[in-house]
Amino acid sequence: MKIALFSDIHANLPALEACLKHIDEQKPDAIYCLGDLVGYNIWPNEVINEIRRRGIATIAGNYDQGIGLMSDDCGCAYKEEHEKDMGKISIGYTNSIVKPDERKYLRTLPAHIKVEFQLNEDKLNLLLVHGSPRKINEYLFEDRDEKSMIRIMEAADADIMCFGHTHKPYHRIFPTDQIEDTHFRHAINIGSVGKPKDGNPQGGYVLLTINADSSITNKNAVQVDFMRFNYDVEKAAKAIEDSPLPNEYADMLRNGF
Amino acid sequence: MEFPNDYKYSKEHTWLKLLNNQEALVGITEFAQSELGEIVYVDLPSVSKQFKKDEVFGSIEALKTASDLFMPVSGEVIEINTALKENATLVNTESYTGGWLIKIKLLDIVETESVMDAIAYQALVK
Repeated sequence: MKIALFSDIHANLPALEACLKHIDEQKPDAIYCLGDLVGYNIWPNEVINEIRRRGIATIAGNYDQGIGLMSDDCGCAYKEEHEKDMGKISIGYTNSIVKPDERKYLRTLPAHIKVEFQLNEDKLNLLLVHGSPRKINEYLFEDRDEKSMIRIMEAADADIMCFGHTHKPYHRIFPTDQIEDTHFRHAINIGSVGKPKDGNPQGGYVLLTINADSSITNKNAVQVDFMRFNYDVEKAAKAIEDSPLPNEYADMLRNGF
Repeated sequence: MEFPNDYKYSKEHTWLKLLNNQEALVGITEFAQSELGEIVYVDLPSVSKQFKKDEVFGSIEALKTASDLFMPVSGEVIEINTALKENATLVNTESYTGGWLIKIKLLDIVETESVMDAIAYQALVK
């Protein structure tokens, strides 16, 4: 089966619409959203309602959690003072425009989705999280130590772990030796629909294909395709500039960082 | 930011607190925890393992980054701070007290003389 996974839309409606159109063309069998629907742009309600209208199974991101709780902290772990100041404006603005029913939806989103396959002799667990299984706002960048990644996935019993939050897509395979055979674990960062940070302003998502021979001992049995799509970046950037949000967020969209 | 006078400091931002002339506690400095941000997990060695000065004895994982931990002096691990398993953020909130990492038996007491004092360490991080 073919599974489409997308996340980190961040209130960017033009990007979400283009993403869903692109996903529809791939004819996936299932669609999941890994959170962070809101923040940094002007369409949080519209993004929430489009995802609800389509009945897409969705988990909470750190920004969704912050807005769901009407908090002034998005859990973004900003380091620089300037980032913190801009972040305060974004969460304050988002809190001011998200409507009650939409906030209630964010407040009640689940943290994780676990999908268990039993295709061959053993189980194959697909775990969907926003940041990491242990923290909604942990950043698992591509350079994270292998030992740490394996420990995180083992603790969560995840054979295939899909996550977002860093807005930088990658796929890493970790072989771990078991008594009889090598066990392969896949860590897949699915990138960002509406706020990519890998230098490419196109939106991104992942198509994950589970084959009949997919198993924990078959390294190449899981197919991961990183999909990129064009959308009206200028419309999304202009919307930021015409709002109380800091203009720097507009340039980030134009440049993909 | 605090730099307690009765602690010793390594250039890799671990501190050493001598308990007597045989045992000491090891942790990371307030400066180190503030650079790392919120700590999520601490990977500590098992008891009775021995490490040389400057050797990696574990690692610490924060929200955005992970970092190795270096021994300020040579020592044998005689206890680890099990409270960190449930509450790793103690390293952030009580970096010099409740957030200690390991208790060691000193393997070479003379080495403790070459570890920086509070004034030298403060000058290093400023």
